Amino acid sequence: MSTAVGSLTIPRPHAERTGLLVWVASVDHKQIGIMYMLAALVFFSLGGIEALLMRIQLAVPNNHFLNPDTFNQLFTVHGTTMIFFVAMPMLAGMTAYMVPLMIGAKDVAFPRLNALSFWVMLFGGILFYLSFFTGGASNAGWFAYTPLSEPGFSSTNGVTYWICGLLAAGVGTVTGAINMIVTIIKLRAPGMTIRRVPLFIWMTLVNSFLMLAALSVLNAALVMLLIDRQFNAQVFAPAFGGSAMLWQHYFWGFGHPEVYIVILPSFGMISEVIPVFARKPIYGYEFVAGSTVAIAFLSFGVWAHHMFTVGMGTVLDLFFGAMSMTIAVPTGVKIFNWTATLFHARIRFTTAMLFAIGFILTFTMGGLTGITFAVVPIDYQLTDTYYLVAHFHYTLFGGTVLAIFAGFYYWFPKISGRMLSERIGRWHFWLTLIGFHTTFLVQHFLGLMGMPRRVFTYPDLPGWGLLNMISTIGAFILLASVVALVLNLYVSLTAGEAAGDNPWDAWTLEWATTSPPPPENFTRVPPVHGRRPLWDLAHPELNDERVAAAAEA
Amino acid sequence: MSVWVTLHPLSPGAVTIERLFVGTVVVLSVLFALVVALGVYAIIKYRDRPGAAEPAQEFGSRRLEIGWTAGAIVVVAALMVFTASATIAVNPPADANKPDLRIVGHQWWWEIDYPDSGVMTANEVHIPAGKRLLVDVEAADVIHDFWVPELGRKIDAIPQHPNWIYLQADRPGTYLGTCAEFCGPEHAWMRIMVVAQDQADFDSWQTAQRAVPPAPGSGLAAAGAQLFREQTCINCHAIAGTGSTAKVGPDLTHISTRQTLASGAAINSADELFKWLKDPDSIKPQSHMPNFQLSNEQVTELVAYLEALK
Amino acid sequence: MSKSKLGVSLFILSEANFFALLIVAYIFFHAYPGEGPTAATALNVGRTTIFSILLFASSGTAMLAARGYRAGNRSALLRWLVVTIALGAVFLIGQAREYVGLYESGVVLNRNLFATTFFTLTGFHGLHVFIGLCALTIVAGLTAAGNMGAAGPQGEAFESVELYWHFVDAVWVVVFSVVYLWTLF
Repeated sequence: MSTAVGSLTIPRPHAERTGLLVWVASVDHKQIGIMYMLAALVFFSLGGIEALLMRIQLAVPNNHFLNPDTFNQLFTVHGTTMIFFVAMPMLAGMTAYMVPLMIGAKDVAFPRLNALSFWVMLFGGILFYLSFFTGGASNAGWFAYTPLSEPGFSSTNGVTYWICGLLAAGVGTVTGAINMIVTIIKLRAPGMTIRRVPLFIWMTLVNSFLMLAALSVLNAALVMLLIDRQFNAQVFAPAFGGSAMLWQHYFWGFGHPEVYIVILPSFGMISEVIPVFARKPIYGYEFVAGSTVAIAFLSFGVWAHHMFTVGMGTVLDLFFGAMSMTIAVPTGVKIFNWTATLFHARIRFTTAMLFAIGFILTFTMGGLTGITFAVVPIDYQLTDTYYLVAHFHYTLFGGTVLAIFAGFYYWFPKISGRMLSERIGRWHFWLTLIGFHTTFLVQHFLGLMGMPRRVFTYPDLPGWGLLNMISTIGAFILLASVVALVLNLYVSLTAGEAAGDNPWDAWTLEWATTSPPPPENFTRVPPVHGRRPLWDLAHPELNDERVAAAAEA
Repeated sequence: MSVWVTLHPLSPGAVTIERLFVGTVVVLSVLFALVVALGVYAIIKYRDRPGAAEPAQEFGSRRLEIGWTAGAIVVVAALMVFTASATIAVNPPADANKPDLRIVGHQWWWEIDYPDSGVMTANEVHIPAGKRLLVDVEAADVIHDFWVPELGRKIDAIPQHPNWIYLQADRPGTYLGTCAEFCGPEHAWMRIMVVAQDQADFDSWQTAQRAVPPAPGSGLAAAGAQLFREQTCINCHAIAGTGSTAKVGPDLTHISTRQTLASGAAINSADELFKWLKDPDSIKPQSHMPNFQLSNEQVTELVAYLEALK
Repeated sequence: MSKSKLGVSLFILSEANFFALLIVAYIFFHAYPGEGPTAATALNVGRTTIFSILLFASSGTAMLAARGYRAGNRSALLRWLVVTIALGAVFLIGQAREYVGLYESGVVLNRNLFATTFFTLTGFHGLHVFIGLCALTIVAGLTAAGNMGAAGPQGEAFESVELYWHFVDAVWVVVFSVVYLWTLF
């Protein structure tokens, strides 16, 4: 007995084959999506523990809780984990689960490739963490600047494991991107033109092209660093004619598009959540979609704003400063669009919506400090300080993580068939928001007070100890928030209220099937005549496109 | 001394940057307040109430969206103009080539050379107050970064890639800074101290630094001088008069004139120096200074020798 | 465009970017030669030209195979696939012998920056050729077993592999020009 998915026939598991084997052998996008999300949650816990250990060490000046090398390994592994093994897999999982459903397809274009993407990412993460047991993890920072990451200055194989783990995970990212592009281009339901796709789909499409372009840059850099390390070459070793700056250009040529890679899907999720809980469409779909394309192109022209202090010269500094200012515009206008969606709305403060609003507040703050960095001379003072650490946590945590929580509370009912507890959800939200701002708001001030980043301890200068202690307390509040999340998951999966097909009365196709969906996703895909197929089904005379056309006439 | 060092500029370059920062923050705060006000207004006014009707399904307004995009472009363009003029003002010209000062970052100490006078010292940068100096910043091993917030911008020290900055302190005083690019285990303790002095004081400091300290005649210091040679300290540390020009560790010729040890990891006192020589890891764990397993007696002799190096 | 062809095109985009960055590294260090062997002193442009011509010819034979495939002519398809594989294999053998020669004359991977970037760039290209040969062999095997039809999954597979093979050749056009032909100026 088998079920046909696209052109591939998947054998249905026999009744006796239950449990783990079904999951390990699965090529169903929904199961792969869940595995991605579970793996990301595990790595999130590891990354969080690394952060807590660092915050304990930094709670008081001149602390001896951790020795310098351990601390350096921790911040390297924390950064690498959160980006490559938490944010990207979590988003990949939500994407893998939701994209086929939102476009009315049975699965992705290449289901087996989808499985490969997951397993190779997991392999990369395990390989990377193995380094803790083989002499020490990488201690050269998540961006592994040379010559510090070259053999002459690293005494363990940690950096090599870092390289190999990322090469493996990168294969997963690229294959995932290819899969998503082909899926979105070729498998949309009839009637769903590219201008009618949900914004999450649009963001995924653009983001996938970003992944193709950016990961290839990282791969080039990684293989050359690997050759330097394993074969004693000198590509990035200035002492022998190589160039340390070249590594930075290559790494940030990947690294900057990378931050957009983790924020675009987040923008997509926020663009889904806010309209549903405001009960009206997103304000300015075209601008939100168009500005995303602008961001994708511009993201390849700003990379050296991570290098303003390396001495590229005033001309290049100003060029990249101008480009970075420019990219603030398409990013910023989205904030106006989301805020405008809240006007004349009927806002329901579900936990998903709370996280979405928290996202707007927090990500905006992060974006604004980003603009201060685009003002080149300010960067000259504040880069590589705790002000920078605050900035990127505001955008990465306040941005990506809060958006993931919003999307999670929104889509959990569809994935599991059960509602998450709104009561525990509120605790989760407030603990997260308070914990986050307590931890990171004070770090802006630490940077302004001269505290550099990546230091295992600091002198007892006035104010440094107090602000660091506050930051550490915030980290423990965040720990409590994660406990709330896990508790919510447990309580809801075991005894949560049944969700039904469309608990939020939302409008996109994933809500037109059961929760969770059957293996082939839909028994019948509704007709698509606009951006909100389920709205059209409920209000045939109020089809968005017809209404908009009439308004213009 | 203000704790808000980046906002407490004591040099023309730092003033330029601080003004730009304050201006930028004001503009962005206004924008932020606007967004927050609108958001708060909306979530209060348009929250769901029992019996409320389905809201009007509006899709956007091309005019409004173009308007706020244009507004954002204007703000950004204005910031760019100020950015450009400030950047040009704080940086030396591209063809800068005659340094007043040369600073070389090592793991984890700073080598400071004065090309005009030939003085070579470590970790404590003395400069004449009120004068703008052109500084050549380099690195001997990995990437470091020279940053004294009250005196201006930071600049990376990159091996084989000299960088140029202006360094100026408006008035005499002591200014603290730090290495600001992760450079290995002791990055946290690669601190910087800039001592700006009146021209007269600076000149006498320079003269004293150029002097070769006399070899100690007898007693503990003489025993220490001998140990310095025998225990191979001389292979890493230069002391004028001993024939060593090694640069693996800091130049110690006038070490007892400095305020701190181990580039800011400890104050320079006989006790701290004793601790350092007895067990470097107790002050700066994982630094490159080996533990020579010296006896207390030997350490006392070395301390006597080094303390005499004025 | 079929799903597979679209997928392979996207993969090609990504790989093209990867090669572009390796080429950039090669060109960057070409400007700062330092001591030791350079492309001009170490490479035999004439011999590599011959092998390159064979590789480019294999694109032509791949197109002939495609013609046979579209016409439903299984024997033509198989014949030209085999010729394509043979030409590709000769290219790889030539490259291997070139590597051996370079190693024997002391131009090893870490000899200097020319050597490192040369071996990295041409090595990754060779790896891509090898993968292409494996894919072509599989396609040839399926053809011989009677499993190549114009429509359906197998058809998409053939088109995708052919596209990939042309990509591998196109990369070599650029690499050959930048590494070998540039020595003539």
